[in-house]
Amino acid sequence: MVTHQTKRKVAQRISQRAQRILLCVPLRPLRSKLLVKCCLACFLVLVAASGAVVLAVAQTRQKRRASRPSTQQQAPKGSAAKYSGFLHSSEKHKSLTCNACHKLPTSGAAKRDFPDVADFPNHDACVRCHRQQFFTRQAFMGTGPAICTVCHVRAAPREDGRFNFGKPNIAGLAMKTKDERQFTIEFPHDKHQNVIASSRPRRSSNQAAGFIRASFFQPEPADDKKPDYNNCSICHVTRKQAIGAPPAGWPGSFVPPAGTFKTQPHTHDACFDCHWKGQKPTSDDCAGCHKASASFVPTDWPTRKSAKFLHEGGGEGGHVLECTSCHINITRASTLRGLAPDVPIAMCASCHNDNKKVTWKKIVSLTDEFAQLKKTGNCTYCHTSEVGKKKPPASHDAAVQ
Amino acid sequence: MKTRFPTSTRVPFLQRPKRNIVAGAILGFSFLLFPLYFFLAAQTPPASRGVIRLKVRYKSGDSPKDLARKRFFLIKGTLEENKSLIERIKQTDPMSRECYYLGKGASPALIRWLDDNDCDSVYCREIEEKYLSGNEAVPEFQAAYNQGLRDFKTPELARRWLTVNLAADIRDGFYNQKQRTIADLISLAEAATKTKVMSVMTDRKGTAYLTDIEAGTYTISNLVGSKTEKTSILWTCEKDVKAGNLAIAMRPLILSNEKDPKAKCEFVERPLPICEHTK
Repeated sequence: MVTHQTKRKVAQRISQRAQRILLCVPLRPLRSKLLVKCCLACFLVLVAASGAVVLAVAQTRQKRRASRPSTQQQAPKGSAAKYSGFLHSSEKHKSLTCNACHKLPTSGAAKRDFPDVADFPNHDACVRCHRQQFFTRQAFMGTGPAICTVCHVRAAPREDGRFNFGKPNIAGLAMKTKDERQFTIEFPHDKHQNVIASSRPRRSSNQAAGFIRASFFQPEPADDKKPDYNNCSICHVTRKQAIGAPPAGWPGSFVPPAGTFKTQPHTHDACFDCHWKGQKPTSDDCAGCHKASASFVPTDWPTRKSAKFLHEGGGEGGHVLECTSCHINITRASTLRGLAPDVPIAMCASCHNDNKKVTWKKIVSLTDEFAQLKKTGNCTYCHTSEVGKKKPPASHDAAVQ
Repeated sequence: MKTRFPTSTRVPFLQRPKRNIVAGAILGFSFLLFPLYFFLAAQTPPASRGVIRLKVRYKSGDSPKDLARKRFFLIKGTLEENKSLIERIKQTDPMSRECYYLGKGASPALIRWLDDNDCDSVYCREIEEKYLSGNEAVPEFQAAYNQGLRDFKTPELARRWLTVNLAADIRDGFYNQKQRTIADLISLAEAATKTKVMSVMTDRKGTAYLTDIEAGTYTISNLVGSKTEKTSILWTCEKDVKAGNLAIAMRPLILSNEKDPKAKCEFVERPLPICEHTK
C-alpha cells in the first residue's frame, strides 16, 4: 500500500516537474539541457536495442546455415545492381588464379583455328560463389539477375547472346557501351626486336646480290620474295580496311584511307605461336602479359600529327625505309606504357629534303611545303588543317637546314 | 610642434588590414604560381638532353658494309673511367653461334638456315614450307612440324606454331646464353656508373639513334663481338654528348673496323673460331 502511494507521489512529482520544465519560461536553459539529455538517452537505448535485434537475427541465420552443409564459398548478398559489373580487381577475384575461371583452351562457341582463350568462363565459374545473385527471389525482380549482364546482352534465361570477349570485336558480337579494359598489356619491343632481328636479305637465285629493298608489308603470295628485314610485319601489317572514326570525329574532317595505319596484334595467336608452351610467359600464365589495372583503362585511338602519312604511299610503291629507320625509339622500348609511334621530322627529311641529288626526283620536299605555307598559311601534304595551320616547330626548320 | 600619436593605438587599427591584404596577395600569387610551375615544366623541353646518331660499318674484303640489326649500349663515362669494365668486355669471348649449335648436335641444315639471315634464334624469320620437306628440309623443323600435326587442328597451324615443339636449346639456347653474358656486363656497368644502360639496335643501314640522353661523355659498345662474314668485331668508343635535337645531331658517330685517328674508338676484330662437332 505504502509502495503504491509512494509510486503515485513520485509520478505526480515527475509530471509536475515536467510541466514546470515545459511551461516555465525563466527556467528554459535548464529545460533544454534536460531535453537534450533525454533525447540522447533515448537514442542510445534505441541503438542498443536495434543492435541486439540485428545480432540475434544474424546468429539465428548463421545457425540455420550451419545446419546446411555447404562446400562452396558464397559471395555476400548485396544489391543486385552491384553485380552487373565485374571487377577483376575485387579482393575475392584477386585471390583466385586466372585458370580458376578461364580455361585454356576455351571450350564451346569460340571458333578459332588455334587453341585459345576466346570466350567468357563457363557458368560454373560464377555460380560457385554467386549462387545468391543468380537464384534468389530478389535477383529475379525487375529485369532479371543483374549478374547475367556481366557476360550476356540480356538477363533472360533463354537469351544466350553474349558481349564481345576481348578486343577488338572480330566476332561481330555486341559491345558493351562503356568499352574500357581492366588490364594493360605488357610487351617489350626491345626483347622481341632482338629475337626477330634478321639482318641479311633472303636471296633468291634470280635476285641481284647487292639489291636491297626494305619492306613494310606483310609478305604476300605474289611477292613472297620481298625481303623482310626486321620482321615488324610479324605483328604489324598494313590495315586494309578503313578504320572507324574516333568518338570526337576525325580531326579536320580528313578520313584516312585504307592503308594509312598498321594493324596491331588482336588475338592470342600472335603470341601463342611462340609462347604456347616452353617459352615464357607461356599461354597459361595470363599475368605474364596482362597486368591488372587499378582503374579501368580506356582504349586509345591512334593519334597522328601527320594524319595524311601513308605507309603505303611514297609514289614508288611505298615508303622504302624499314620500320626502325623512322620509328627510331622502338628498339629500346621495354614497355608499352608511354609508347608512342614517334617519328621525328628529321627522319622524313632524310628523303623529303631539298637536295634532289640524294632523294627521289619527284618527291615533295619540306622546302616545297614551307613555300606553300607562306602562300596559303596551311601545310597540307602531311597535315590536316588542325595541325597544318599552326606555326611549324623549330625542328621543321632545323630539318631542312 | 608636431603632434605624435601613440603608436599603440594607431598601428593595430591601420596596419593590420594592410598586412592581411599583403599576406592574401602573396598567398593568392603563390597559388597561381604553383600550377604555372607544373605547366611550364611540362611545356619546356629539357634543355640538357642530347642525341647520338650511330653509324656502324665494317670492311669485309674490299667493300664497306653496314652492320645491320646489332644492339649497341650506352654507358655513362669516358673510356678511361670505364677502363676496368672495358677490360672485362674485351676478355668476354662468348661462343660463336656455329660452335654452340654444333655442340648441341644441330643439323648442318639448321645451322645454314640460321646463318642465311644471321639469326641468333629460330624466331628471326618465318619457317617456310620448303624447310619442312625436300632438299632444303631442316630435320629439327620436320620433327617439330610432325608433332604439331598431332597437337593442332591444321597443317598450317602446325607450321606457324612450329617453334613451340622445338627443344629449348635448339630454339633459342644460343640467344639466351648471349643475353646472359650481356646482362652480366650491363649489371657491372650499371653498378660502376650508377646509371642505367640504354641500348638501341641498328637498322639495315647500320644507323641507330640514341635519343633523349643527358649531356655528358659516354662509352658506346656492342658488349659482345658482332658477327660479320669472317670475323667478330667488338667496339668501345667514346662520345661527348651536347644538348641538342636530332637535326643538330645528324653528324654521325661512325664505328668502323678501320682506324680513324680522329675518333676515340677502339675495336677488337677476331676471326671466327673453327668449331668441331662435339656431340
